[in-house]
Amino acid sequence: MSTREIPRRKTGKGWFRRDWRLYAMLLLPIAFYLIFCYKPMIGIVMAFEKFSKSKGIFGSKWVGLDNFKFIINKMPDLGTALKNTLLLNFMGLIAGFPMPIILAIMLNEIRCTGIKKVSQTMLYLPHFLSWIIIGGMVLQIFAPTTGVINATLRKWRWIGPEENVPFLTEGWPWRIVYTLVGVWQSMGWGTILYLSAITGINMELFEAARIDGANKMQQIWHVTLPGIRGTIVVLLILNVGQMMNISFDKPFVLGNSRVEEYCDVLSTFVYRAAIKNHEWARAGAIGLFQSVVGLILISTANFVTKRLGEDGIW
Amino acid sequence: MKKTLAILLTLALLLGLTGTALADDDWITLKVEAFDRDIPGFNVADCMQLHYAQEHFGDPNHIKLEFVPVARWTEGEKLGLVLGTGNEPNICITYDGGLVNKAIEDEEIYQLDELLEEYGQNLIAFLGRDTLLPFGQVDTDEDGTPEQWFIPARRLEVENVGNFIRADWLAALNMEKPTDIESFEAYLRAAKEANLGGAQTIPMQFDLYEANPLYNVNRFTDAFIDFSKVTEEDWFAYCRNHEMLPGAKEGYRWLNKLYHEGLLYENFDLDDDAASDTALTQGYFGFFSMQPDQPWRPDKNYEVELENNVPGASWTSVNCFKNASLDKYLHDVYAANGLSIIIPVKSTTKEQAIAAIKYLDWMSLPENMFFMQNGVEGINYLAVTEEGIPTEVQSADAVPDEYKMHAGDIVFISNGLYYGSDERNAAGRALKFDAKYTPELIQSYIDAGTDAWTQISFSGTIQAENDFGSMVQSKQGAFLSKVITCAPEDFDKVYDEAVDAIRKVGADDMIEEFREAYNEGRARGTFPGNP
Repeated sequence: MSTREIPRRKTGKGWFRRDWRLYAMLLLPIAFYLIFCYKPMIGIVMAFEKFSKSKGIFGSKWVGLDNFKFIINKMPDLGTALKNTLLLNFMGLIAGFPMPIILAIMLNEIRCTGIKKVSQTMLYLPHFLSWIIIGGMVLQIFAPTTGVINATLRKWRWIGPEENVPFLTEGWPWRIVYTLVGVWQSMGWGTILYLSAITGINMELFEAARIDGANKMQQIWHVTLPGIRGTIVVLLILNVGQMMNISFDKPFVLGNSRVEEYCDVLSTFVYRAAIKNHEWARAGAIGLFQSVVGLILISTANFVTKRLGEDGIW
Repeated sequence: MKKTLAILLTLALLLGLTGTALADDDWITLKVEAFDRDIPGFNVADCMQLHYAQEHFGDPNHIKLEFVPVARWTEGEKLGLVLGTGNEPNICITYDGGLVNKAIEDEEIYQLDELLEEYGQNLIAFLGRDTLLPFGQVDTDEDGTPEQWFIPARRLEVENVGNFIRADWLAALNMEKPTDIESFEAYLRAAKEANLGGAQTIPMQFDLYEANPLYNVNRFTDAFIDFSKVTEEDWFAYCRNHEMLPGAKEGYRWLNKLYHEGLLYENFDLDDDAASDTALTQGYFGFFSMQPDQPWRPDKNYEVELENNVPGASWTSVNCFKNASLDKYLHDVYAANGLSIIIPVKSTTKEQAIAAIKYLDWMSLPENMFFMQNGVEGINYLAVTEEGIPTEVQSADAVPDEYKMHAGDIVFISNGLYYGSDERNAAGRALKFDAKYTPELIQSYIDAGTDAWTQISFSGTIQAENDFGSMVQSKQGAFLSKVITCAPEDFDKVYDEAVDAIRKVGADDMIEEFREAYNEGRARGTFPGNP
């Protein structure tokens, strides 16, 4: 293999003059992060204020930890919401994390391009459906009596004429439906990163494995998986960091009053506790609390991965 | 050469623009919030009513009017985001009383006493100095005389509860109209046994209304309250928690019984309203409860849709939720005020605030209100009665886009069409409906006003309600699901636990503060236990 000689970095602005186009391209993402991620952080002070919009972030009265105390002492639902958030996210991680990997490997093994493209498109499709639509579908499928599954089970006499499988009306069945619907919705989209990682694996490795007599499963186990290990680890750490974050629409749409104590999560809690009654400082306090826990989780995950000899994310 | 020409042209354009701006210097802009209901073809920000107001009010006064559309069903949240920031319209309207109270506390809105006295005499006359205006008064400086902080809209129609059963089912069962719980239950049971709506017959429909779950249920369960054990003070203290009043438990036990006998809509808390609406017009339901005019409204006529599917079917109003301890029917009616109109300080100069009151004052004059509410003769309505009330009113899809209008969302000082007196208003209301429904409609309004009590509100902030109101409502939703669907033998346990959960998330604080406010004389509304 021949390597082209790369000019050594010179002192002064030589490196900048050479790569200024690349740096210019970097400006946009930097601006994005500054404007949408760093600037709003100034608003964190709201969490420590009796915030009034007319007085502004810097003019409102400072109240120390009052907002935090109020939420912790006066709102017993916070504990439930926290528990549900972690549990639903954890279930989602366990059931949902391996799925895109398995799917990506399976897609990668499809030799006929036509079938591959069609199945990929069909797998991506649910990602583009809004949760409102999915919520309607879930109701049509899983509702008691009128839902497709319960009606079918009754017809086949697997359950009695007055019985129902409580998919949406009891805690654990609801949690499972919630998790599986989430997996179904996101697994196709999740394969994209893994597929590109698989493409990056050196084909010579597969060839060598074949010559050594490895069958398909052995190739997957000894070549494909180790080849995308880095990607898997980085995505796992990022996912663990997201354990405290939960979207609003999914639990709000899929939840109902019969499973209120199972479907109330931090996002829906914030909506009720702070947004509906315009208590922005309380929303800020809960948000800050969420971020701190998220930071702890992601740091721990990163630390553990590094200890296990992987690269981590920083 | 080209370049110079371009520069010159641009300069000329800029100069021209500044020139116009300078000429318009004595004009001011007045931004007015207007609810938007997504009526197809109707552009709130560029509608006939705006053009009329601009021509007859704006132009003579050198005021440029702008309507700012805000989605009706999320108006409180939308306004809450901008109020106090300086980006809000100069006249804001909202049904969110908590938001208004917060704005008063934070001094984000104008105190209106002087402005109203000086520029709003017609408005005061329309609202009534002693009837409506006090709803907008709060004694913030605690000197004993309350100040005017917002302008309450005048509600012309206070009836709220309409209960309807199928007239054709009654005839088929050879039954009289039910007059109490027992006869109503007998009707439900007979309808189910006869499968009058086919295999999918569901005698009693109701939907869980998530924004306020017990609001629509109280009208059934209040019939079970034992008023011999309820004082007026309790009634006000528990105004958001009727489920805790003595006897209410039996009401929920009754619903639980209906549910298990298959007499109550099984998916009341799961399905969306659309599914339940469909079932209603398919003829599966034998009872439903909404507003008194609901079955016959011109824009969504449940009766016509039902009749298309089930020939000969019709709805009739029924009064059957009789409270035994009072021997009364207990219908709640709205207070006389509608939404709240406020003028924010940060976005509005004193000059604009004066213009705002002038605009509302102009709106309250009979000829202006008439046009703004009814539109153009020959297009929006085809004729007028001898009394001068528009008739043959055209629905929105029957008029060209540029004539589409929404009376209530633009003429927000009046909640309902105003024709000068209660009698004329009632006559006007009836004319909006197909004449063949008039007898039913009249009966429905009489029923809805029988033994009525006025909904409860408080002047000034109830801090606990602001803090915990939505938490309590969410738990009330769970409460309703649990007590209706639980096994009958577990009912007592489930009920007690669910009530306890409501108390814990803040209902206790609310009850206590409501009680205090009642004793301070800040409560409005009536107690049905009073003779």
